[in-house]
Amino acid sequence: MLRFIPIPAQAGISGFESPAAEYTQSALNLDELLIDHPSATYLGYAEGESMVGEGIFSGDLLVISRFEKVKDQDVVVANLNGVFVCKKIDKRRAMLLSAAPDRAPYHIREGDDFQIEGVVIRSIRLHRPLVKSI
Amino acid sequence: MYALCDANSMYASCEKIFDPSIRNKPVVVLTNNDGCICAACHIAKRLGVGKKFIPYFQVREDLERAGAVIRSSNYELYADISQRMMDTCSRFAPRCHVYSIDEIFHFYEGWVPPEGWFEHGRAIRRAVWTEVRLPIGVGIGPTPTLAKAANHAAKRIEGYRGVAVIDNETARRHILQNMALTDVWGIGSRLAKRLQALNIDSPWQLANANPGWIRKHFSVLVESTVYELQGVVKLSWDDVRASKKEIYSTRSFGQRIRTPDVLGQALVQHASIAAAKLRRQQSLAGVAVIFATSSPHDAQGYYRKYITHRFAVPTQDTTVIANACRQAVQAIYRPGVPFYRCGVGLIDLSEKAAFQQDLFTPSADNPGLMQCLDAINARYGRNTAYLAGQGIQQKFAMRREFLSPQYTTRLSDIPRIQC
Repeated sequence: MLRFIPIPAQAGISGFESPAAEYTQSALNLDELLIDHPSATYLGYAEGESMVGEGIFSGDLLVISRFEKVKDQDVVVANLNGVFVCKKIDKRRAMLLSAAPDRAPYHIREGDDFQIEGVVIRSIRLHRPLVKSI
Repeated sequence: MYALCDANSMYASCEKIFDPSIRNKPVVVLTNNDGCICAACHIAKRLGVGKKFIPYFQVREDLERAGAVIRSSNYELYADISQRMMDTCSRFAPRCHVYSIDEIFHFYEGWVPPEGWFEHGRAIRRAVWTEVRLPIGVGIGPTPTLAKAANHAAKRIEGYRGVAVIDNETARRHILQNMALTDVWGIGSRLAKRLQALNIDSPWQLANANPGWIRKHFSVLVESTVYELQGVVKLSWDDVRASKKEIYSTRSFGQRIRTPDVLGQALVQHASIAAAKLRRQQSLAGVAVIFATSSPHDAQGYYRKYITHRFAVPTQDTTVIANACRQAVQAIYRPGVPFYRCGVGLIDLSEKAAFQQDLFTPSADNPGLMQCLDAINARYGRNTAYLAGQGIQQKFAMRREFLSPQYTTRLSDIPRIQC
């Protein structure tokens, strides 16, 4: 459980009473903070470098919501011919866009098996590996 | 009005959620220990493979020829997906009752959805598909039995495509005329035969039978079914569910057991599962039934042995029940028998609240320890803390050769997504 103390940022000017004197402590947990619709939210690991332009690196943890309505240019997880991929969706031109300079966009063709699985609502950098097991 | 939502081929559908490479393939799921088929997706059914409860080894080649994907039962995954399905469905009705892992009843009291019942059913189905990726059928009707009938129609009768509503006479007649008697909730095949002997051949005829006459020939339960088919509510799940009269934990082993130590460990594990259930319903057990058997199909003949152990004082303590098991092993075990199945049953149950202490035989229960054990396991998962008597390495664990990852409940099994 993460303990969260909401103290507004200060410019360091002295002479005022410390706002921390009356701070309230509230308990937050990351699930509540990051996940709006638990029964429609899934986790996934990113694998590959094609989304670095969106700040998603290989090994990052993705929080994927099936609840969100998919908007144009959203970062989504999709099933493309039996493989889960993470791309930006271009709804008007039916394309999957990468966020790396060397990757060409992918045109979704008629014979493709394609469904959008959910919207990537957060990505979490694991600066140290996860050690907990559930 | 009532609605019944249930998942199509729940287990097979769960397997497809996190493995898009098998979504267009025939998927067949096996029972405990990979013994029999317990679920098949619609593609497998269309190919004529995956009939329920057929032993896997009998149809292995047929399945291979059909290109079927075989999976062991992944209960961890199904339980999590079930929870998500129930959460999603529950948004749509003021009151709900989870009936099984893949079925939930809705009760709308007087409320009527502004968009109409059919559109409401479609909205539930759509929400579960987009949010959980589980295909479900929705049946809506004025009684639980008619909701169940509508649910049958939603999935099986042509033209309904997943949603059926019984809110008028035409719909009620059409659906009841297009079902078999055994499709009616509570009508098994033996009951159906007896009904047919009295010239009641279809659910529609049953609905039009005289309830009093049915009661005389059958039972109050069948009479209630007739009323329900007519639109009069007779079933209720608001009555407090009675505590279970007996609690069993039993299972067959992945591999045969041949040593008393391992048999003892397996029994102690069953003791701990049953005792935890006992504490959850706040009961005490007077007697434990402890048993082990070989397989009836084993060449060397069937062996089974039961021990009933009466406790000096009714108990709900895992250690007390486990001790009884350790003693029983000596009586049950016989060298050379390949043990296939064992279990512990707790019977002669009484309510803990009504228990009278005996001055001369004090209870050996340690409620503080049990409370602590249950609290740890509730918080950190089953078997986080357990008796050493269960064995550290559980050699008798289930055989699950074709197990898929636990995508939603285990960190190492979280799906990989290509970037």
